[in-house]
Amino acid sequence: MTAVIQAALNGIMMGAMYGLTALGLTLIFGVMKVVNFAHGSLLMVGMFSAYWLIRLTGIHPYLALCIVPPILFVFGYYLQDVVIKPVFKAERQVREPLTVIIVTTGVWYVLDNLALMLFGAEYRTVRTAISNKSFALGEFIISVPKFSGFVAAMLTAAGLALFMRKTKTGMALRATSLDREAANLMGIDQYRVYNIAFGLGTAIAGIAGCVLIPFYYVYPSVGVVFDIRAFIIVVLGGLGSIPGALLGGLVIGLIESVFSQFMASTWTEAIIYAIFLVILFVKPSGFFGHKQDW
Amino acid sequence: MSRKQLDHTLLALAALVAFGLPLVVTSPTYLQILILLFFYAYLTTAWNLVGGFAGVLPLGHAVFVGIGAYTSSILTLQYGVSPWIGMLVGGLIAALVGVVIGLPTFRMRGAYFCLCTIAFAEGIRVMIENIDALGPLRINGPRGLLIPLKDASFWHYQFMSKEPYYYIILTLLILVLALTWFISRSKIGYYLAAGGEEPEAAAALGINVANCKLLSMALSCFLTALAGTFYAQLMLYFYPKGLMGLDLSFEIAFIALIGGRGAIAGPVIGALVLRPLNEFTRIYLSDMLPGLHLVIFGLILILVMLYKPQGLTAPLAALYDRLARKITVPGDAR
Amino acid sequence: MKKGFSGSLLAGCAGAALCAVFLAGPAFAADKTIKIGNVEPLSGPSASVGIQGKQAREMAVEEINAAGGIKSQGGAKLELVYADSKSDPTVGVTETERLINTEKVNLVTGCWNSAVTYPATQVAERYGIPFVVPVAVRDTITERGFKYVFRVAAKDSWWVRDQFRFLKDMQDETGVKLTKIAFLFENGDWGTGFAEKWREMAKKDGYEIVLDEPYPSTATDLTPVVTKLKSARPDIVMLVSNAADAILLTNTMAEMQLKPKVVLASGGGHADPKFLENTDQNALGIFDEVEWNTDVNKAGAKAANEKFKKKYGYDLTGESVDAYAAMYVIADALERAASTDPQKVRDALAATNLTAGPAMIVSYDGVQFDETGQNKNAGIVIIQVAEINGKPERVTVWPKSARRAGYTPAFPANK
Repeated sequence: MTAVIQAALNGIMMGAMYGLTALGLTLIFGVMKVVNFAHGSLLMVGMFSAYWLIRLTGIHPYLALCIVPPILFVFGYYLQDVVIKPVFKAERQVREPLTVIIVTTGVWYVLDNLALMLFGAEYRTVRTAISNKSFALGEFIISVPKFSGFVAAMLTAAGLALFMRKTKTGMALRATSLDREAANLMGIDQYRVYNIAFGLGTAIAGIAGCVLIPFYYVYPSVGVVFDIRAFIIVVLGGLGSIPGALLGGLVIGLIESVFSQFMASTWTEAIIYAIFLVILFVKPSGFFGHKQDW
Repeated sequence: MSRKQLDHTLLALAALVAFGLPLVVTSPTYLQILILLFFYAYLTTAWNLVGGFAGVLPLGHAVFVGIGAYTSSILTLQYGVSPWIGMLVGGLIAALVGVVIGLPTFRMRGAYFCLCTIAFAEGIRVMIENIDALGPLRINGPRGLLIPLKDASFWHYQFMSKEPYYYIILTLLILVLALTWFISRSKIGYYLAAGGEEPEAAAALGINVANCKLLSMALSCFLTALAGTFYAQLMLYFYPKGLMGLDLSFEIAFIALIGGRGAIAGPVIGALVLRPLNEFTRIYLSDMLPGLHLVIFGLILILVMLYKPQGLTAPLAALYDRLARKITVPGDAR
Repeated sequence: MKKGFSGSLLAGCAGAALCAVFLAGPAFAADKTIKIGNVEPLSGPSASVGIQGKQAREMAVEEINAAGGIKSQGGAKLELVYADSKSDPTVGVTETERLINTEKVNLVTGCWNSAVTYPATQVAERYGIPFVVPVAVRDTITERGFKYVFRVAAKDSWWVRDQFRFLKDMQDETGVKLTKIAFLFENGDWGTGFAEKWREMAKKDGYEIVLDEPYPSTATDLTPVVTKLKSARPDIVMLVSNAADAILLTNTMAEMQLKPKVVLASGGGHADPKFLENTDQNALGIFDEVEWNTDVNKAGAKAANEKFKKKYGYDLTGESVDAYAAMYVIADALERAASTDPQKVRDALAATNLTAGPAMIVSYDGVQFDETGQNKNAGIVIIQVAEINGKPERVTVWPKSARRAGYTPAFPANK
């Protein structure tokens, strides 16, 4: 029983971090109505940025959290502006711009393989000030980097929710996600909103990167592993729903951790896919999504 | 001569070149490259039956390649059945699985359909990687299946030289192109086109678009599985991640998209442009710059989608039209 | 529907022209050189070992050529040609074919990953070109009745057999009795193969298997697996891991404060230089199985290691030593064959009896191939990670004859 609870605790922390990786995706999904296949690569960019920053300057990962996300915001903003916006403009009439999906996949290929060319394929880890530390909670052991990740995820989600609700830009984003045409009529520049959404999504991927680096290793295709999971979580939680992304992440994290106490961890992956398919068929809008979104 | 005569002459010429190439190209390495080229052209054309004609974007098609390879290989390894028969069995199983997947997913819109096909493909792949044996059938999990060397013979679907493989895949490619052409001109083709562009109008006319989509899916999966068997017999070895992974699925879809989905020979053009690029950057450049060919691939994908989302076929076809008009006698309407 | 055929004709002719251009492949006149093709993972997850294998081969070939090349063939020099397998069997197969058919190599070596070596050797057999496998442990590589495949390293059933011999010897030596054993292995070709044999041996030696877990090598989090391991309370934990997961696993075990009595790894990821770099103190006490260690008691080993370290920046490992020795095995066979005819080279390889020379820095006493092409004498050593002069270092502990003088292994490593 202790093992199960220990696994559950770990699952909650990992789940929150999975939710964090999905947060940026759900934002982009919700506002722009597109599947951003490059999201994993953006996470990889975040992780590599954090890696090099810490490796070259030795700063504390918490400090890296202040530096990496803003850089990634700018990166995401301009990526969307230069590469993806033209496709949006061309597909103005189409409700589901499939071409955007394809373009984001192209971005994924390019980013991942540029990283491969620049950094090589090897797995890299960096020892940070908090790596490998843990503290005891009764008879259970809590890993410090994972706990920090949990806290960071919660704070980010709360911060994002506040932003969406209280700030003018946030409300503009929400308006666009609910009804693109109406928002346009109200004077909201749709494309600027898209840029901001994409930038924000990328910045959140940057936060996730900083949070993962203290305990996970980075390599050019690290994004792929998290990407698929992020999609599953987004669908599970509901398009564009912030609490949905967190909840979805928690569910996945718990399944991964707890189920593997009872079966080989290689099977939990198959189970996650099975659950994904069930959700897609039974309730495609997920926990908190809106029915008419798709 | 008339336009029609020009078209037919060039077509015959192309076929002649294709069939005669092995007489000129004798190096097994280059023959292998050509074989893989036709292999991809075949896969993308089969994909086009769903991705182009039915108007959706399946991103998990490699799973059917795997089904074909596993079926025929298990039947050969454990029951001594000729791979040709195993190939047909594999095709039928793949078609069945395809329909099962298509039934619920065709109802969905765009991106959800994509995600679904990915989930199915990865789910099946992960399951196969975890299973060592399914009852009496040895699946071998992540280690894949190795087909032992047998005496070269048609029945064994194994040959000492590359030429027979070349002709087999070329024939398959021509067959699938002909099939595509035939379908595009048939009732099903029109139904699918109608269903893709104006689903409500089509439904109003009583066209059962859903059934047409399922039919094209079944056909596409059947044909894709045949290529799986071909691959297994060519390489004599395969494993889940290599044959059923997302890499292959995505590559198939994107070659078709770059070439021009919906066009009959669009996928072939995509393959003709991208595969040699892939092979040669890998051979000559991967020493210094690993992954370069995928960067180029990604850039081409982005550029084509930005400027020519219909694919490269459209401008090429227009070019051909202009040239043809200069040399042919007008009058015979196409 | 669009008129696809028109455009395709144009493209078809263009495509044919493209192929014709590349037909004129590289045609350089070959001097008196003997070409050896090497399929190695130069990129991808096993890149670091692949590159080490490349460097070891280069060092050997430099020495051989400097000493006069293959004297029986007019001082012919050895030339190495590389192909990147990316640890992908399909690429490995294609590259082996290319090396044989286009580059026209006289021999092939490779491929480190068993999953790549297995089908690639079949290609060489098909074309009748000798294939020397320096490192790749899957048993079946030399169990298919092939005539052209030779392996220098031990096969995995011998690795497993020696792991269990080590356990028995150490329990006899220290009088400590251990009964509960746990298996944790990467779910690829290598891990699954080892696990199969572990189960047999564990049963034979009367151990109680408390955990038998494959895990995905690319797992983002190994805490659930470690939690499971902790609740199983094993005495002995046997591991098969690649580089990244070996690091993750060791660090996670330290984090979760799991200290089994004995942890026995199987080389690969645990032997990678990056492992100690990234686990530091957490790795103390781990036993690992490798073909070779820097402190092995053979003449010339220290000097060769110094030379390698000076050139490339890190120590030789079992894999690189095997690659190094393989080059000398090939040179020796070429010398006796006095020709590059594949059949003659193959026969010379089969008759190898190499017991002296620079290749003998290996931990065993000679290279002789049996009828299946397996090196009869191939052996392994077990090391323990211990703190020597304030730094974690790998110390040879088994067989007892190879143990570093003055070192008493900590068995069990933890109470």
